Amino acid sequence: MANSEVFVAGIGAACGLGWGKAALIEGLLAGRDVFSVLARPGRQAPDGSTAFIGVEMPEPPDILPPRVARTAGFGARAAIAVLDEAWREAGLDDVDPQRIGLIVGGANLSSREHLLAVAEYADRLKFIPPRHGHVFFDSDIVGLCASTYAIRGFAHSLGAASASGAVAVLHAAEAIRAGRVDVCIALGAVQDVSYLDLLGLRALGAMGSSRFADRPGLACRPFDVDHDGFLYGEACAALVLRRGAGGYGSILGGAQVVDGQRGPEPCGEGQSRAIAAALAQAGMSAAAIDYVNAHGTGTPKGDEIEAATLRSMGLQQAWINAGKSITGHGLAAAGAIEVAASFLQMHAGALHPTRNLDTPLDPNLRWVRGGAQSHRIRHALKVSFGFAGCDTALVLGAPP
Amino acid sequence: MDRDAVLALLIAQLRDVVPDLAEKPIIGTDSMAELGVDSIERSEILMNTLEALALDLPMVHLHGPRNLGELADLLHGKL
Repeated sequence: MANSEVFVAGIGAACGLGWGKAALIEGLLAGRDVFSVLARPGRQAPDGSTAFIGVEMPEPPDILPPRVARTAGFGARAAIAVLDEAWREAGLDDVDPQRIGLIVGGANLSSREHLLAVAEYADRLKFIPPRHGHVFFDSDIVGLCASTYAIRGFAHSLGAASASGAVAVLHAAEAIRAGRVDVCIALGAVQDVSYLDLLGLRALGAMGSSRFADRPGLACRPFDVDHDGFLYGEACAALVLRRGAGGYGSILGGAQVVDGQRGPEPCGEGQSRAIAAALAQAGMSAAAIDYVNAHGTGTPKGDEIEAATLRSMGLQQAWINAGKSITGHGLAAAGAIEVAASFLQMHAGALHPTRNLDTPLDPNLRWVRGGAQSHRIRHALKVSFGFAGCDTALVLGAPP
Repeated sequence: MDRDAVLALLIAQLRDVVPDLAEKPIIGTDSMAELGVDSIERSEILMNTLEALALDLPMVHLHGPRNLGELADLLHGKL
């Protein structure tokens, strides 16, 4: 049914590769190394006991007027920058604001700034800025976006850990299909982690890299036998979804299921269910998928189970790459920027390499590694998994 | 600190919080509402001014003045 089709009309992106989708696709295809020791204030323990590796982005461009910009945190300013890029490309100034929705993927987005505020105001608590009373809510990014751009349909944030961005895309597509709006923006927000969060993730065994601590460029190794955990990467992306077909391509199907885990444990059964449901909604079989944008974090157990899932679902024929090997793990933003990367690769007719995939743990899958390669994507599968058993899959189709 | 210095401090804090007013002449008979300052900005300006003056004063004690000059008078009286 034509009016149930949803396509991507605009993309905005930011990560350690730079600002804008052009920097993203260029850096991805080049397989650029942007890993280093994290330097943003609040990212390393004050006692000097940490040297967390990851990826940080340049300062957001000045888009907001100074009066508003001074009240917006780093993640909020990044959100505005990617929204601005996507909004302009999609030409949304001409759309009835009441037919535009916004879903911001991500929760607990500003913990680094909260930690810095605690330190700054510890001995003068009575002078906490009044604005903190509303900025600490994740929904402040929603409010900032809707007060800057004409979005008057609906708007809210959602949390699904590292799958937040992909779930935002899924819900945005569903909102259009349900007729709630004609346009819906899915925004994967910056997960602005503090060193406390990073310490926890390391203690949990999810985050690397002890093995490559002195060689940041080698540390992030999804699906490689020498992987030892994910590495954090600042990221943010916005996708403008519209009713119809064209643009960068379509959201053909999608599903999110819960597998009953509370913490970080991956679950192949849940992953398979999500993929099967997404394919069913798209009305196609796994054999029709020619490209998989993997979740691919670089955690040993996560990679192993994901590879087994892809194999068991009959995706051996599809090319597979993992964007986190280049951008780092954007957590809340990861799913959104990787959906964006999938469409940008579709548009470019090329697939980016998976960095550091020297010895694939499963040599029977069709990895893109070593360098970019030409490939015209027709049907892509994007998978995105989050702590608390959140398994998400999206089927993406090339434009007609 | 005399009353005019308190007024100058108040206006400086106002310009920090509302950069749009950086170049606008502001005098004691101006009110924050007339200058387009919203309620959250007003609270921030007052808190920043109290901190700069090292005044420990509940915000509710700052209700009443009709313009910046009267606010400066009130604050000066608390020093």
